Amino acid sequence: MRVDPNLSSLLNAGIQGTEQALNTAVQQVATGQRVNVPSDDPAAAAMNLQSLSESASVDRYTKNGEAVLSQAQMADSALSNVVNELNQAITLGTQGADGSMTSENRAAIATQVQSVLSQVVSQANTTLNGASLFSGTSAAVPAFVADGASPPGYSYQGNSGVNSSAVGDNLQVNVNVPGDQVFTNPNGNVLGSLTQLITALGSGTTTDIGNAVAEVRSALANVSQQRVLYAGVVNQINAQESYLSQETISLTSQQQSLTGIDMSVAVSNLTQAQIAHSTILAAAAKVLPTSLLDYLK
Amino acid sequence: MIGLGGTLSIATDALGAQTAALEVASNNIANANTPGYSRQVVTLSSAASVQNGTTVDEGVSYQGFTSVRDAVLGMAINAATSNQGGLTAQNTLLAQINSAFSGTTTGIGASISTLFSDISALSTNPSDPSARQTVLSDASALADAFHQGAAALSSASSAANQQVSSAVAQVNELSQQIAALNGQIATSEGNGGDAGALTDERDELTTQMAQIIGISTTQTGEAPTLTTTNGSPLVIGNSSYQLQVSTAPDGTAHVLDGQGNDITKELSGGTIGGAITTRDNTIPALSQQLDTLASQFASAMNNAQAAGYDLNGNPGAAMFTVPTTGSAAAGITMTLTSGSQIAASSDGATGGSGNVKTLLAVQSSNLPNGADPIASYASLVGNIGFAGSQVSSGLAATTSSLQQLTSQQDSESGVSIDEETANLIRYQQAYSASARVISTINDIYTTLMNMSLGEG
Repeated sequence: MRVDPNLSSLLNAGIQGTEQALNTAVQQVATGQRVNVPSDDPAAAAMNLQSLSESASVDRYTKNGEAVLSQAQMADSALSNVVNELNQAITLGTQGADGSMTSENRAAIATQVQSVLSQVVSQANTTLNGASLFSGTSAAVPAFVADGASPPGYSYQGNSGVNSSAVGDNLQVNVNVPGDQVFTNPNGNVLGSLTQLITALGSGTTTDIGNAVAEVRSALANVSQQRVLYAGVVNQINAQESYLSQETISLTSQQQSLTGIDMSVAVSNLTQAQIAHSTILAAAAKVLPTSLLDYLK
Repeated sequence: MIGLGGTLSIATDALGAQTAALEVASNNIANANTPGYSRQVVTLSSAASVQNGTTVDEGVSYQGFTSVRDAVLGMAINAATSNQGGLTAQNTLLAQINSAFSGTTTGIGASISTLFSDISALSTNPSDPSARQTVLSDASALADAFHQGAAALSSASSAANQQVSSAVAQVNELSQQIAALNGQIATSEGNGGDAGALTDERDELTTQMAQIIGISTTQTGEAPTLTTTNGSPLVIGNSSYQLQVSTAPDGTAHVLDGQGNDITKELSGGTIGGAITTRDNTIPALSQQLDTLASQFASAMNNAQAAGYDLNGNPGAAMFTVPTTGSAAAGITMTLTSGSQIAASSDGATGGSGNVKTLLAVQSSNLPNGADPIASYASLVGNIGFAGSQVSSGLAATTSSLQQLTSQQDSESGVSIDEETANLIRYQQAYSASARVISTINDIYTTLMNMSLGEG
């Protein structure tokens, strides 16, 4: 049987093939990616997109967690100041309830309690990035404004709404505790009890002062109780953050295995492609110049 | 009984026959690299006649030359060439689409993720105007990403239209050339000659045509009849039939046969077939998937917006508008004009973020098409990838089978320089030997002459 005398076209096809393999190998080494366009591996490209979207979700949960955390920490430090102020008010009130106190002394104490009240109100009006921490979901700034008509002398501008933020696929944490729940709670009214104490110190009996101090104590208990809510949120977020950072690592490695290529594999592919290419070039160099004419001298 | 004169004429004929054989060999060598050239072999036969009941050898007779070619193999090559042409056209268009959808940090998928991330950020600080503005620009960016996706598909479609138009022009030129060659071949063969080189040229042009359009060849009488795969005539004998291109109202290029019938749907193979398949089957399916995603995503987002209230306490306005006719992905627009219009609140409280949950739920809920937005997009990208990889692996397979067929044809018809060199030596030696016979006869005659002169 006659054979194809046209060796060069066979060799050309072979050289093109190994050249293409070499190109692919070089590209994989250079980019570290096995899938550069969807047609390189359609299933992996599609799964990679989903995995990237999960990564974006994890990033977003982490960011939300950080934002909630900074609000919770700020609110907690405001409430911790309020606790200190209330403790001071209790001490002052207990002093004022002493029967040996003159009305001048009580008036002086009342002034001190008044400054405690202003301190507390300023904590209650704490803002972060221009938004009140204790105005519920109303976006009112400030949360509490002086209002003579209202019994404690201040009226709440916010509402009882609570915002929540997603820090996991099925995990929402509360972003805020509404101001009326902290400062004007019927079970321990911070602003009301302080106003009551000032009034009692100004005009009342030791019994009134004692009652007012008791009110301040229950307000203190309430504030401490509300602080626990923030502490709970902080704990949740801290726990979630370590889970999320694990998740980021596993998603990144998933994406790497879907579309990336292991460097050792890429380099060994490149070596193989180089060997195949130089082999066929060597074959071409040997075969192509050979002709019967060389021997007819 | 043969005389010296007979021997002399045998040797003279032999000189002629070997010269003709040398000419064929040199013609083969000259055309060793001519595309489509089939090697020619001389036909020599021993001449003999019967005179008075006795066989008389009369030397060699030169019967002309024939081209060595295999018509069946030629048809197989044309079919594989058509296949390769079609897949090459598809591969080019799909590679273009694939690279447009290859982005992992850009494109529709990434834009959807960014939009939801920034909506999610509103949950902690819903009244922050810059956070709201960010959501608004994300939504615009997503609409742009849809536009770019739609544009990538439609630009591949218009590239296909251009391919069809220019390919039809090439087919028409080739069919004219083939018809002209058919005429010359008929004349040449009618005069008893071998139209070898002309036939090679026609076969080469036919293969070129197969690259552009799927053809079928039927051998009727002298010249083969070329038709498209659905039977519209291209070349019959020495007349060619021109295809035409007409532009449909939707801007697509349609192919009409010589009688003006629209044969666009029936064509397959070759650049034209490949471009039409991609334009009329592959791209519309992908476009539809993209449009479905755009319109269903838009209405899901609009529903989620409508469930809440914006910063001013008004019910949430539609975020996207999609055109009622035409491509949803190409026509989707972001219709909110201010960040305050993002419906983050579920109850109208301006600092509320209760509806953020509803907006975010769009990302994880299935659209009416049965998958969530990212999964829908991933499936679109998967389909684009599958279409591309299928065509490119098909192309690799066809190319290697075409390679084998061509090699098989070369083994039949290709010129081997070594073989021709060996032949040259053979014919040269035979020529020298015949010349020696003539000089021997000449010597004998001289001897005879001298003898008779000496006697005289």
